Amino acid sequence: MKLAGNDILIQSLIKEGVEYIFGYPGGASLHIYDAIFKQKEMQHILVRHEQGATHAADGYARATGKPGVVMLTSGPGATNAITGIATAFMDSIPMIVISGQVQSHLIGTDAFQETDMIGVSRPVVKHSFTVDHQSNIAKIIKEAFYIATSGRQGPVVIDVPKDLTNPVDLFEYKYPSEVNIRSYNPPIKPEDSQIDRAIEAIINSKQPVIYAGGGTISSNASKELFELNSYMNAPITNTLMGLGVYPASDKNFLGMLGMHGTYQANMAMHHADLIIAIGARFDDRITNTPEKFAPNAQIIHFDVDHSSVSKIIEADIAVFGQVKDSLQAINSKLRSRLSEINDSRLDAWHKQIAEWKEMHGLDHDLYKNNSDDGPILPQAVVQHIYHASNGNAFVTSDVGQHQMFAAQYYHFDEPRKWINSGGLGTMGFGLPAAMGVKLAYPDEEVICITGEGSIQMCIQELSTCTQYKLPIKIFNINNLALGMVKQWQDMNYDGRHSSISYEDSLPDFTKLAESYGHVGIKITKNSQLKSGIEEAMSIKDKLVFVDIYVDPNEHVYPMLVAPDGSLKDMWLGKGEKT
Amino acid sequence: MIEERQLTLIMENKPGALVRVVGLFHQRGYNIESLHVEPINNFKPYKFIEDELDTKFSEGEISRLEIKTTVDDPLMRQILRQINKLIDVIAVSGNEGTYLKGVLRDENLL
Repeated sequence: MKLAGNDILIQSLIKEGVEYIFGYPGGASLHIYDAIFKQKEMQHILVRHEQGATHAADGYARATGKPGVVMLTSGPGATNAITGIATAFMDSIPMIVISGQVQSHLIGTDAFQETDMIGVSRPVVKHSFTVDHQSNIAKIIKEAFYIATSGRQGPVVIDVPKDLTNPVDLFEYKYPSEVNIRSYNPPIKPEDSQIDRAIEAIINSKQPVIYAGGGTISSNASKELFELNSYMNAPITNTLMGLGVYPASDKNFLGMLGMHGTYQANMAMHHADLIIAIGARFDDRITNTPEKFAPNAQIIHFDVDHSSVSKIIEADIAVFGQVKDSLQAINSKLRSRLSEINDSRLDAWHKQIAEWKEMHGLDHDLYKNNSDDGPILPQAVVQHIYHASNGNAFVTSDVGQHQMFAAQYYHFDEPRKWINSGGLGTMGFGLPAAMGVKLAYPDEEVICITGEGSIQMCIQELSTCTQYKLPIKIFNINNLALGMVKQWQDMNYDGRHSSISYEDSLPDFTKLAESYGHVGIKITKNSQLKSGIEEAMSIKDKLVFVDIYVDPNEHVYPMLVAPDGSLKDMWLGKGEKT
Repeated sequence: MIEERQLTLIMENKPGALVRVVGLFHQRGYNIESLHVEPINNFKPYKFIEDELDTKFSEGEISRLEIKTTVDDPLMRQILRQINKLIDVIAVSGNEGTYLKGVLRDENLL
């Protein structure tokens, strides 16, 4: 079959099973958009800003496990997408970003809307391609999807000069059935010897902790993880990226660890004799001061990425490979050695952890106090949302205090339900990400927990939600300031609140939402909180924007003491330290 | 031990391949003390890579890149692993002469 470059590109995407393209057209991508117009298999979602396109594709990818697809024009269209590509890169999210480019003969001439997209995006992509000829388009798409979705996943950029998508020149098109990149061959089998060493360490440990992160979700290994711990019966913590991969309601779950992790999770990590890191990368928000990290622990590290192992914390036992494969391998060996695992070996350890939890664990009953007209606690807001949504909504978030409250107080029992920018910490992520999730799962409840700072960074996407009828619930935890920055200024700069306030210039968010055709609900009193949130949840066919004015003086605790602190050094409240 | 080390890369001779390597050094804060790159036409020394990858190199297709950098052992290992992740890199070696192919096989693991 002979096709033009633009049709080859679009037909290739259809072959990859793409349902949605998130994008924004422009001069350099006109031919491509003409090819989009002529087909019915994929739907193009017209966002209001390219950053929104990347976050929407990202949210779609995180919720479904399938790569998100973004379509951009050259120049500003491409550069506007960089933040979203970097967000996906930091969290290892599969994404295909197709950027139009000026015509081949104009490249390097500072042509209208020309940017070196390959150069600009290079540090934040897994790989990138420049299309050099129409006859290579199908092969490039095939390779791009393969690279984005295999090994440690990530975004791939494909830059396409406009002339190579012209509708006139026709070329033979056949979508390749196989892909072979000789310099890239990511599937690796876990080594038996390392698995055996890991099993010995597990059997001999008295104070083990499982520390599972986003890689366990990417690898779809939550079942395998649960099986492993059904044998081990160990306390388990999840990173911010890993929440949901192990059921939060399980008795062995410690909550999140790290900067704003629970007291018991951080204490358990610090005092462990064995840490089993699974698809996690010892980020600085997890380790605190690396030299003081878990001084007595042997480290087993399961990861698909060589370069993540012993990068920050030296691993004693490294199991390379897809986490799912590695866990299956260890589970099948462990199954035949269950008699060697002494059921009572961890009794003292569990007792110690229960004591820690009792001492300084999070209070999950704050929501019960909703009768008075005192200030609304942001923590209680999340607890109400959790109960009103029966704990099984998809929850996206932005970045800051509300994000940490959501992570601490919404108990995720399933993977891919908690959608947030963990690595890059991108404000503006929540709303467009929720659009991607809602498109993927139109019948599921999709909630965006945000703040009045973050929501304004991509608030233009309220318009996209109107156009495509996306009934998302937005809960704006409004504390009239950039709360996390303010918290740091309170704690480290004697309360000098530098550039964190805009109280007099905030819009009336409910009216703003209404102007787009959405429903707005304002909550200013504690007594309105429960009914207001329940009212929002009862509205099924419209986007609801709930603007909740919370106590502006709340801080997120626990909080690791830095610099020079270990995981057992935490602020537990204002002026209260471990 | 901090000492000068040489890395040798065999990579696809594609546009942008070199800048990915150089960019990686900059991005991760590694220093480059010298750098030399040229296309390979004599494939004999690299036959074992061809065998390992079940491929045949042809003229103009691959380049040899040499970088000198002064680092300690753990950082050298980290650099090797980071470079090995670049899609266009076919193989990389450190002072000890161990080649890693694009697949994740590391003989000096831990």
